[in-house]
Amino acid sequence: MSAYKSFSKQKPNGQKQNGDEDTRPKNRQRVLMLSSRGVTHRHRHLLADLNSLLPHSRKDAKLDTKTQLGQLNELADLYSCNNVMFFEARKGKDLYVWLSKPPNGPTIKFHANNLHTMEELNFTGNCLKGSRPVLSFDAAFEKQAHTRVIKELLTHTFGVPQTSRKIKPFVDHVMGFTIADNKIWIRCYQIAETESAKAKPGDGDEDAAPTATVAKAGKGETNVSLVEIGPRFVLTPIVILEGSFGGPVIYENKEFVSPNQIRSDLRKAKAGRYNTRAEGTVERKAKKRDMGLRTGEGPRTVDELDERVLFA
Amino acid sequence: MAKDGTLKAALRRQKGVDIKKAKQKKHQKHAEKERKQKRSSEVDIGALQEAIAGKLDELDDEDAAAGGAQLDELANGEAEGWETDESEDAADGGLNVETFEDESESDSDEDETFYTAAGGSPVKKAQTNGAAAADEENDEDEDEDIPLSDIESLASDDKGDVIPHQRLTINNTAALTRSLKSFALPASLPFAAVQSVTSAEPVQINDVEDDLNRELAFYRQSLDAVKEARAKLKKEGVPFTRPADYFAEMVKSEEQMGKVRTKMLDEAARKKASTDARRQRDLKKFGKAVQVAKLQERDKAKRDTLDKINALKRKRQSGNDALTANEDDRFDVALEDAAETDKKDRASRKASGAGPNRKRQKKDEKFGFGGKKKFAKSNDAKSAGDMSGFSVKRMKGGKPGGGKQRPGKNRRAKV
Repeated sequence: MSAYKSFSKQKPNGQKQNGDEDTRPKNRQRVLMLSSRGVTHRHRHLLADLNSLLPHSRKDAKLDTKTQLGQLNELADLYSCNNVMFFEARKGKDLYVWLSKPPNGPTIKFHANNLHTMEELNFTGNCLKGSRPVLSFDAAFEKQAHTRVIKELLTHTFGVPQTSRKIKPFVDHVMGFTIADNKIWIRCYQIAETESAKAKPGDGDEDAAPTATVAKAGKGETNVSLVEIGPRFVLTPIVILEGSFGGPVIYENKEFVSPNQIRSDLRKAKAGRYNTRAEGTVERKAKKRDMGLRTGEGPRTVDELDERVLFA
Repeated sequence: MAKDGTLKAALRRQKGVDIKKAKQKKHQKHAEKERKQKRSSEVDIGALQEAIAGKLDELDDEDAAAGGAQLDELANGEAEGWETDESEDAADGGLNVETFEDESESDSDEDETFYTAAGGSPVKKAQTNGAAAADEENDEDEDEDIPLSDIESLASDDKGDVIPHQRLTINNTAALTRSLKSFALPASLPFAAVQSVTSAEPVQINDVEDDLNRELAFYRQSLDAVKEARAKLKKEGVPFTRPADYFAEMVKSEEQMGKVRTKMLDEAARKKASTDARRQRDLKKFGKAVQVAKLQERDKAKRDTLDKINALKRKRQSGNDALTANEDDRFDVALEDAAETDKKDRASRKASGAGPNRKRQKKDEKFGFGGKKKFAKSNDAKSAGDMSGFSVKRMKGGKPGGGKQRPGKNRRAKV
């Protein structure tokens, strides 16, 4: 009930309305996670992985419809979520990921490929369930308007807010978002801190007495390294809608070619080989006929040196 | 702006195209007013000029084909609502050059029309009409309009059958920024509230297929972000490092981690086994060589000692050397002793004529002793001439028992 109250008071961007005693801006996010019917095991595991990584997410049952995505807004309202991550599976193989900010949008539709779940990757990294990640963005996100929108939405979805109830107090993993080849590559690493061999007592970080080095081992000079946790996936932005699961298209990626198109092109290319061969046969026949090499056809004329004329 | 105007005028003169002046004027005025309020878009205009220049060259080359071509220059790709208006005008064969400058945030209802009209694809329509259509969006990347990544992958002779498909780029910057503003988190939030770090410079990945370098770039980006975030969080007094005695549920279960561990152990064991096997193989190969060398060495040592002995013997036979005489004498005594006694023994036995002992004699009687054993059973002249066992009757008359004669072949056949 208290959660409902707190959420009902906030604006869609997670800001509390003015008039509250605590006027400081807050980052409040809750993510509704669900998939459509027809997801493969891999899609399902990816969703489960993300759900375990994001303590502010709420998993829901599969959505029955693929056409009326507007229902998601009502669902989000029902669960008092201000973010939706929807996995839409097509043809039992292609996965489209929708990220949205109900009720007012925007919505981004991605095509997800190169999926690898945490379990199948067998990485050694691990992190606390519910710890808040550091989000690492490529500077390329700041360059274009649509990537700025994408970045903000990713921040809302993957950034765990401080107010979430299930969080744990330490920071032990980082999520990396990089733009390469006009796609967004997502990685998740564990932050492994190892103490360096010699702790300098005169370090600026450590104003305590040098005897405290043993007690405050964590505060000493440490080497930070990363160990990958998983999962891995790549998102290709397809379209950005102004509303939440609706509204006008404000960005469309022209370089995106749908996997259906690629498959059909491959099929057509195969058919093309046959077509060229068949055309070649027809052309050859026509050519032979024009040269008068086919019996009973073609424009062969009887000239005066023809046998029939000569020996008539 | 002035530059732009002259360029347009030149274009018009060259092509002799009449434009729907009134409408455009209106739009332009509107745009200019907007631009005064809004940011100046030098980059966009520059890109626009380039685009127009490029398009002009292209058209000069192939303008016969492009008789019915429609050239739409749309600043920022926003004016798609107008594009549809003008596509009908373009149908009458005139070349239509529309230049709209950066048209940012006009009234919202006009924006709506852009979006809705942008769904169609005039490119495809034009292609079906048989006219070469050149549709240009004023993006920074105009040259990327046509290429399709997957067409290159097809064989060149197959390309003929594949109709390149293309999407219109909709990139409504104004709407995007407005949308971003509507939901963006306030900048006044402390770092700890979001914990988002943007890298200082964009990550450069030359080849996306090169797994190692790509992952390394991702790793570096995240590592830099972690260092920055760590410093900031420490400054804000947020706990960062998990203490060693803090235990809680992890993302990967113990079972999963056990699986990972066993997998790693298996891999390590496999690696170790393979290196061991290789070492063993190498050792075996090497061991054989060692063995051969050892045998050769042994042979050589044997030969050497034999040589030495022979040399000594030779020396002894020929040696009257005073120095070695004594030694040789002593050595020879023993040798000669044995030989002497043996000889003597044999001589005495021969002299006595008694032959071997009784037991030997008996055995010789029983089993035979002495004499040649070879060819004992083979013929000699005498045995070959012996005709005692031969009888003519037996040769001719068959068996002494004299059984019935076998009937002839004819008779046998009859029976």
